[in-house]
Amino acid sequence: MNRNDSLPPEIELAQLLQRCAAQDSAAFRMLYDKTSPILFARLLRMLRRRSVAEEALQDVYVRIWERAAQFEMNRGRALAWMVTIARYCAIDLMRRERLTLVSDDALAEFPDESAVEGLGIEKPNHFDDCIGRLNEKTRECLTLAFVEGRSHDEIARLTTNPLGSVKSWIRRGLLSLKECLSAVRQTT
Amino acid sequence: MKSANRELLDRLAAEYVLGTLRYRARKRFERWLRSPQVGALVSAWEDRLAGLEPPLKAVNPPPAVWTRIESRLGLRAVARRPALRWLGVAAGVLFFALVGVFALRDTGPKVPQLASTQRSLIEADPQTIYWRVEVLGDHQELQLHVDKVHDLAPGKAHELWALPEGGGAPVSLGLLPHTGDHHRVLNPTQRAALASAKQLAVSLEPSTGSPTGLPTGPVLFVAPLAKA
Repeated sequence: MNRNDSLPPEIELAQLLQRCAAQDSAAFRMLYDKTSPILFARLLRMLRRRSVAEEALQDVYVRIWERAAQFEMNRGRALAWMVTIARYCAIDLMRRERLTLVSDDALAEFPDESAVEGLGIEKPNHFDDCIGRLNEKTRECLTLAFVEGRSHDEIARLTTNPLGSVKSWIRRGLLSLKECLSAVRQTT
Repeated sequence: MKSANRELLDRLAAEYVLGTLRYRARKRFERWLRSPQVGALVSAWEDRLAGLEPPLKAVNPPPAVWTRIESRLGLRAVARRPALRWLGVAAGVLFFALVGVFALRDTGPKVPQLASTQRSLIEADPQTIYWRVEVLGDHQELQLHVDKVHDLAPGKAHELWALPEGGGAPVSLGLLPHTGDHHRVLNPTQRAALASAKQLAVSLEPSTGSPTGLPTGPVLFVAPLAKA
């Protein structure tokens, strides 16, 4: 796990979420202070434009407040749960508005990532082995979709590959990843 | 769930989590997330694909974002008037106590006459059991025991569902109480649903229960129903 010491400890976040589920607004503020810089960075990575990411960040925390009771304490991974909400908010926005965020102007707002910090989200066991077994084109398509929220059409355009190939690589890549992760889990 | 359906749902779940479904397909798929089976497929893909999360440098959002969130959720008024907030909580507690007594049509904590035939534990883990549910006789009655109080937002309730085997529509078994022991006589629809159910589920609903007769809120628990 690439956990960074400066990241909020999972247990504390999980407890804050539980308090949010009980409508504790002070806990919500603490949760926001601890996690909003991470979620904002994640939204910027997908939406690129600060103004759009700021709007989306509001939606993300409204959803977190409203859905805090759905967080399953026993499943853990509070930060991953919140990052998933942020990703889904960004994807909804991009698909609904058909936002095209490939323009270079928008890239100017992209945060500097030279000083990289780990997000602190636990990878499944042997994830790196399994993703490494996929061919480079498939890995690139999956990464563009997951990390940047690109649609099939955008990925085809960005990678200058036929749309049909992109769809097929993604479908087969997901299946291979699932089979590989499941196989290594059974052997360990 | 048939295996072909399951494969298709798993593919859709994967592309839902990856984010490559088109907007309308995405929204259509989200309606299926109420099904515990589909929810489990999505959770599994969320866990798998979490490995793709990129390293990031934290970026502080401007203070105005928090102000707007507070305003949208009406939190500022709540923070300024704690007395009113506690009044709201107290009213909520009183309301749920009344719901526990009247809306459930419980017959109260009397000693059941029928033998317990099936049991289910609604639990987060073996150390954290929230409700113990017993089916009495030939699916005629339910005995409910609140083991540990599950947190609940004001204006919300926990609703219990029988999940028929083979993926049929869930059937409501009523709202769940939050204190003590409760005994409930089931109607013919509930009995038929329980007779073919292998699992129970608990969803989060408005305080008066699901308005549609099907789960409308998130499914918080799914628990097996086993022979007593």
